[in-house]
Amino acid sequence: MDIAYLSELAVNGALTGLLYSLFALGLVLIYKSSSVPNLAQGALTMLAAYVVLALSRQLGFPLWLAIAATTIIMFFAGLGVEKVALRRMAGRPIVMILMMTLGLDIFIRGSTLAVWGGTSRSMELGISYDPLFLGPILLSRINLAGAGVAIALFVAFLLFFRTRHGIRLRAISDDYIASWSIGISVEHGVALSWGMASVVAVASGVIWGEIQGVDQSLSQLLLKGLTVAVLGGLDSIAGAILAGIFLGVVENVGSSYLDSIVGGGSRDLIVAAVLIFTVMLRPHGLFGRHDIERV
Amino acid sequence: MKPEDVHKSGPILSMNSVEVLYNSVMLAIKGVSIEVPHGGMVALLGSNGAGKSTTLKAISGLLTAERGKVSRGEIRFDGNVIGDSLPQERVELGICHVIEGRRVFEHLTPDENLEAAAPMSLSRGRVASEKARIYDYFPRLGERKTSLAGYLSGGEQQMLAIGRALMTQPRLLMLDEPSLGLAPFLVAEIFEIIKRINRDHGLSVLLVEQNALAALDIVSHGYLIENGRVVMHDTAERLKANSDIQEFYLGGGQARSFHDIKHYRRRKRWLS
Ligand SMILES: Nc1ncnc2c1ncn2[C@@H]1O[C@H](COP(=O)(O)OP(=O)(O)OP(=O)(O)O)[C@@H](O)[C@H]1O
Ligand SMILES: [Mg+2]
Repeated sequence: MDIAYLSELAVNGALTGLLYSLFALGLVLIYKSSSVPNLAQGALTMLAAYVVLALSRQLGFPLWLAIAATTIIMFFAGLGVEKVALRRMAGRPIVMILMMTLGLDIFIRGSTLAVWGGTSRSMELGISYDPLFLGPILLSRINLAGAGVAIALFVAFLLFFRTRHGIRLRAISDDYIASWSIGISVEHGVALSWGMASVVAVASGVIWGEIQGVDQSLSQLLLKGLTVAVLGGLDSIAGAILAGIFLGVVENVGSSYLDSIVGGGSRDLIVAAVLIFTVMLRPHGLFGRHDIERV
Repeated sequence: MKPEDVHKSGPILSMNSVEVLYNSVMLAIKGVSIEVPHGGMVALLGSNGAGKSTTLKAISGLLTAERGKVSRGEIRFDGNVIGDSLPQERVELGICHVIEGRRVFEHLTPDENLEAAAPMSLSRGRVASEKARIYDYFPRLGERKTSLAGYLSGGEQQMLAIGRALMTQPRLLMLDEPSLGLAPFLVAEIFEIIKRINRDHGLSVLLVEQNALAALDIVSHGYLIENGRVVMHDTAERLKANSDIQEFYLGGGQARSFHDIKHYRRRKRWLS
């Protein structure tokens, strides 16, 4: 295999990886505030894509307006889910909260299937599929555009966490009882993180919907997203970015080697291996917080 | 054994026969009544498990975080019943509780710890001047304001926890065992600063301590709580002179032998 082909695989893998990171960003936001991986994040992503399509196809909104409106709708839907389903779970064992998010996932998948059926729809963002060459390297335009959106969102959130509201959210993720003791509304903080994760779901739903079509399989992004979030340490945005790029590159390069040996299907094996080895060898991920211990 | 001073404008805090239940079954305090006068400093003393922290949590509303509930009695702040309002509503009223064990935000810098506690209604400029005021009281914090709070020493963390509480602009500051695990000179330093803030700003203070010696040096009154009940209430001077207190509490909070504690409890029942 020559170096040009290898770098093409790596660059495209990195771009796809940034889109995994984008998905994982939603998981990280909720994990930071409530220490639970949101198993409904894939379903939320799919729901966002369906809402965009419903607004643009069924109600005839221009696409940009449909996306903007969906962002607002999903933000409030996120707040609502937290208030209705999660808030009453405060103080319960984490595994019960996890099961609640699983219940939400099943509920959203079931409802979207009932409303919009199982056929795949296309997003039709209007991005051209003509090849784009960077020197000898062939790039996908949609992946490039998606990676741009992902990076813009990462920067926005990194800046947000330096504002006063953002600092309060980080305080909640450090110690919610201490947060209460100084008058931080932990409930509102957690709700805000659900709202923000739902907004991230819109971005990732639109981009992934364009890439692979809008259907039930969109919700299965959860598995790769979780792998990336775990590898990145679950509570670190920077970790999610680097872990996504890492997974994308390893998956793309690795599968092109392995597929010729095992005859296809090695992508999932590589993702599984990354997840399993992370949990075994680095349970805090690459960038997760250890509890600070002073000597 | 009532304190002789007259409260001019009524107490800033009064608790009347308050009972607290945890998990609907465990009665942790059994009718506690205490008062803190405006601008006063009052200590709440007692040994392990007496119900000191529970009393503070009932006042700050943090009981809800532990499935605890005020099942009887009432708590008044500035004359108004606080009922079962949320912790953040009580902070807005001016009650701030520095919880046991420091609990700074370890992954935030001291500067961010202080900022997290500033009410959102304060302007940027006010937040900066309030932070400057805290660093003025605790110069050691100012020197370390950009390292992670988790790496500060125990004393610095306690200072940060107090400074963080002051950022909420309290009128009643409640401190839960601020001396825990600190060297005596640090305890003296921190208590001196609390005393100064009390003097400068008329901040009312309710101080929970096992370290009775240090506490009685800075407060005007003290309550002794044992087994969920107030068993003694007097001026600091008289508490210090009291032979029971001297015998069992003025040791400075070291672990006492089981024999001593039992002996004490027996006497307490007899006294009360
Ligand atoms: N969350 C809880 N659930 C059930 N019981 C509790 C809880 N917290 C405290 N208790 C019980 O209530 C009683 C009073 O506890 P509290 O923490 O108020 O004591 P304390 O005087 O602060 O003791 P210490 O000096 O050890 O901090 C104890 O018997 C304790 O076991
Ligand atoms: Mg206690």
